[in-house]
Amino acid sequence: MSEIRKVAVIGAGVMGASIAAHCANAGADVLLLDIVKPGAENRNAIAEGAIERLRKMDPAPLMGSRAIKLIKPGNIEDDLDALKTADWIVEAVIERVDIKQDLYRKLATVLKPGAVVSSNTSTIPLAELMAGVDAAFAEKFCITHFFNPPRYMRLLEIVGGAAPEFAALRHFIDHRLGKSIVDCNDTPGFIANRIGTYWIQCAMVLALELGLEVEEADAVMGKPIGFPSTGVFGLMDLVGLDLAPHVNASLARLLPASDAFHTMNRETELLTKMISEGFTGLKGKGGFYRSARGADGKRQKSALNLQSARGGTLEWRPAVKPELDDVKSARKDLKKLLTAGNKYGKYAWGVLGRVLAYTASLIPEIGEHIADVDTAMRLGYTWKFGPFELIDRLGADWVASHLAELGLEVPPILAKLGAGKFYRPGATGALEQFGLDGEYHAIATAPGILRLDDIKRVSKPLAGNKSASVWDLGDGVLCFEMHAEARGVVRNMLDGDVLGILEKALALTGASHKALVIYNDDPREQPQKVSFSQGANIGMVALTANIRLWGKLESGMKDGQKLYQSMRYAPFPVVGAPVGLALGGGCEMLLHCAAVQAYAESYIGLVEAGVGLVPGWGGCASMLARWQGDKQAPKGPMPAVAKVFETISTAQVSRSAAQAMEMKFLNPTDGITMNRDRLLADAKARALELAMDYKAPEPPTLRLPGASGRVALKMAVDAMAARGLATPHDITVSAALAEVLTGGDAEWIDPLTEHDVMALERKSFLALIKTKESQARLKSIIDTGKPLRN
Amino acid sequence: MPNAVIAGYARSAFAPANKGSLTRFRPDELAAEIVRALVSRTNVPAADLEDLIVGCSFPEAEQGLNVARLIGMLAGLPNTVAATTVNRFCGSSMTSIHIAAGAITAGAGEAFICAGVESMTRVPMSGFNPMPSPKLYAARPEAYISMGDTAENVAQKWQISRAAQEEFALLSHKKAAAAQRQGGFEAEIVPVTNGKTTVSHDECIRAEATAEGLAGLKPAFSKEGTVTAGTSSPLTDGAAAVLVCSEDYARRHGLDILARIKSVAVAGCAPEIMGVGPINATRKALARAGITAAELDVVELNEAFASQALACIRDLELDPAKVNLDGGASALGHPLGATGARITGKAASLLKRTGGRYALATQCIGGGQGIATVLEAV
Repeated sequence: MSEIRKVAVIGAGVMGASIAAHCANAGADVLLLDIVKPGAENRNAIAEGAIERLRKMDPAPLMGSRAIKLIKPGNIEDDLDALKTADWIVEAVIERVDIKQDLYRKLATVLKPGAVVSSNTSTIPLAELMAGVDAAFAEKFCITHFFNPPRYMRLLEIVGGAAPEFAALRHFIDHRLGKSIVDCNDTPGFIANRIGTYWIQCAMVLALELGLEVEEADAVMGKPIGFPSTGVFGLMDLVGLDLAPHVNASLARLLPASDAFHTMNRETELLTKMISEGFTGLKGKGGFYRSARGADGKRQKSALNLQSARGGTLEWRPAVKPELDDVKSARKDLKKLLTAGNKYGKYAWGVLGRVLAYTASLIPEIGEHIADVDTAMRLGYTWKFGPFELIDRLGADWVASHLAELGLEVPPILAKLGAGKFYRPGATGALEQFGLDGEYHAIATAPGILRLDDIKRVSKPLAGNKSASVWDLGDGVLCFEMHAEARGVVRNMLDGDVLGILEKALALTGASHKALVIYNDDPREQPQKVSFSQGANIGMVALTANIRLWGKLESGMKDGQKLYQSMRYAPFPVVGAPVGLALGGGCEMLLHCAAVQAYAESYIGLVEAGVGLVPGWGGCASMLARWQGDKQAPKGPMPAVAKVFETISTAQVSRSAAQAMEMKFLNPTDGITMNRDRLLADAKARALELAMDYKAPEPPTLRLPGASGRVALKMAVDAMAARGLATPHDITVSAALAEVLTGGDAEWIDPLTEHDVMALERKSFLALIKTKESQARLKSIIDTGKPLRN
Repeated sequence: MPNAVIAGYARSAFAPANKGSLTRFRPDELAAEIVRALVSRTNVPAADLEDLIVGCSFPEAEQGLNVARLIGMLAGLPNTVAATTVNRFCGSSMTSIHIAAGAITAGAGEAFICAGVESMTRVPMSGFNPMPSPKLYAARPEAYISMGDTAENVAQKWQISRAAQEEFALLSHKKAAAAQRQGGFEAEIVPVTNGKTTVSHDECIRAEATAEGLAGLKPAFSKEGTVTAGTSSPLTDGAAAVLVCSEDYARRHGLDILARIKSVAVAGCAPEIMGVGPINATRKALARAGITAAELDVVELNEAFASQALACIRDLELDPAKVNLDGGASALGHPLGATGARITGKAASLLKRTGGRYALATQCIGGGQGIATVLEAV
């Protein structure tokens, strides 16, 4: 099997450029080609413009600063020859068969042996694309359907591409692009858009017909069911209203007359009118929601009056947050919402019942395996639960018995299941899925995927409490898992409960195991909503400060520092494996690991300054050691100090693992895993590799500039304050941080230990927490979740 | 006593730091190319050179060691030509010229190359290891005041409005753009090459600058202030060099004399208003030359900031029509160590071009100083 090293993307629209960006994130060389703009002097103008736009797009399609340099622009007229070096060519041009086939004929002349071609089409079947195309070319061709935005959406649908020629491509998509591949039949809309479009259509049509307003519809058709919290109207604004008619038209053309889609493909005049007037969503003048600055300068959200819009008049009124009791109780009891006799209940079940029945009826047409369908909806539409998982939650017999209310028949697979579950745990802990044959089957999983959930189903923790547990991953590796909730959300804020179990995990590993992995994830959540750890429990810190137990705070800091030191200098390796947020003390935990294997979407930072504090568990000392150890950086006592000061004083958080490496929250020797499903296995492998010949690291010595450096930092902060970029308390916090980072009374000719710096961490932390301004910052975060800029 | 004359002037194109075409040029190698070109263009016999005197504001890293000696070697000067590095911040390479003029007058050499260089991309302002004295900072914090703050102080004290600063900066861009269009810089700029990149045009000039555009910028140093990025000289990479020799030597060797150095001066002032340093320095130099400001035909006044340039013009009663004929640092840029050689060489060239009699080159200096040179047509 050859390896995909060079990718060519043809078509530099939003999708093409974003796919190119993500291939660059994966470290591949990328050629991005588009047409030559008629009459243009610069023949690469379109591709160059697209690359330039990648820098500014939000959410960012690029992960680190190096990726963009891997993307080279070109045009399809002059650069055909350059395609001879590509291992994979992705076609992402306009959705027209004639244009695509014309391109394929050109590609056939330059395709190198072993290389493959794919289309990112979302609306054209493979059979149509390949009709009349040379058979030799067709053998090297498949559909790779990315979801927007490609960096963040984990689903990749493949149609065709089963032959051995595609092995390298599949490996690249899985390991390097980090996507979960779902193989789809060559049916219209494949899997995710077939169901997703029907869902959106049902949600829009029934909202109009049942007389709901957009906020009401979104409140019902969002969070309570585990659908994106935007709801359907908010989602359409986000992805762009103008896409829907194309997808709908293609489904209407391709699906047989008996398909339920046709009956829901109505009420389309509203969309047509909105699009024609430029209300295409966030990318246009707004959509179902609009946001504008009011007379007071504050942003105000307005919502489309859905009922008058149905009558042909587009008017927006101030948006409201609907208070719906049925929605509030739905988190605990979804059925109560679905069976509420009012319009909200009718809407909820009207949409959900139709979607579940439709989906079940599409097995095996769109795919044989229900797990694939659930994966597609979770990863392609960010549903928290796939349709079959939803049925399991509600009870298959309950769903079947309520379909009659909607005038729907019970689909065969649902009938066959009766009162059973679509999923059940197998002997190894891994789930099995129900099939049309009435039997349970293993869920095919690519090798090298280890799920903590599977282990948890068939084993007991070696230690644990409500906040954290220790699991045995096998092969001599233990796993320390945090699962501490605060206000109903797992935030993994560090306190005695969590750290006590960490201490036990270290002891257990030392006594009888080879290595420890620190890992936790909630695969149903987007990574930005997952917390590896949000740091010290600031609620406890604030409470202790309120009753002025300074001694307790100081001993807590000492204990934390000691625990993290014992982790760093343990005679066995500890490997941190973060997903999502690793902030403050959570970041410091990673800084003390022998190695980190981070999920690509890890957001790491020392954010203590935001609550008026400084890192107190060795974060300052660790970062200084890392920057002073950088052989590339300028020499002398100041460059490392200045860099760490800038990073911590402005509470910078990385926007990816790649960026965390640039900021030195990760070491260059740490690993980044692109596929979230592979993180735990990668971390375990790293731990075993390190354990083979493990020696604890040597403690660093630090040379710090003392008072002179502090003056230099103070001048920099004063300049920021003069420009209005630093508040009065920022100046106080910065001064306390500078005290730590410059080594207090240090002379830069005298080396310091990390313990010297950690003593300064404690001193500055305690000085700050005694100020009423820092206490006010803590209170603001605790009460409102928002930082106070005092 | 022998007279000192300026018998040659060359510089690199100036480019914005961190984003211009010179970011990948090492400053020592860049300066060497200019020195090499100056020797070749003037036909001065290299073996006759007494000393290579190089001004540099942050002489560390690639500008470190005795960078002048290394530049001499890179430029292929004979081993017999000595070399020294001079630091008077922005006044560094004008000081180089003053040292040469003094040596010539004292009979301590006949021919000197006075150069200056700064890569503000590769060696940041304040250097890599700023370590101010806590004692001095406690007693006199203004010793370390940022240049932007001094520009605000001057604007406030001399009542120079934001609009006046912007009008001045805009005019500087228009003059520089016109000069560039008409090839006014071609004689002085030495094209330099690094790999595939050849740089031969100034890159800081904004021909398309507008009053509206400048008016829309946020204050750069103080929330309530009047100084913006548009009325400050940009961080710049560049190098410049002049040939200074005795008048007698120049005539003996048939060199093209641009101007005679009539008088020089330096003067200190309060650090927090360093921008008005040229006022006293110029007054001293004019008095030493025995002329008045009204007799000047050409003035090169460094535009570190529009506010300080306007304050100096006002207090020295300079004729604005004679100041910075081809634009100033607002438009061309201000590679700290190189600017003194540029404006002195430029003043000498302009004196020849305009047929005037007296020229002044003067600039302000961080820390609170001014430096001035009066030139006379030969």
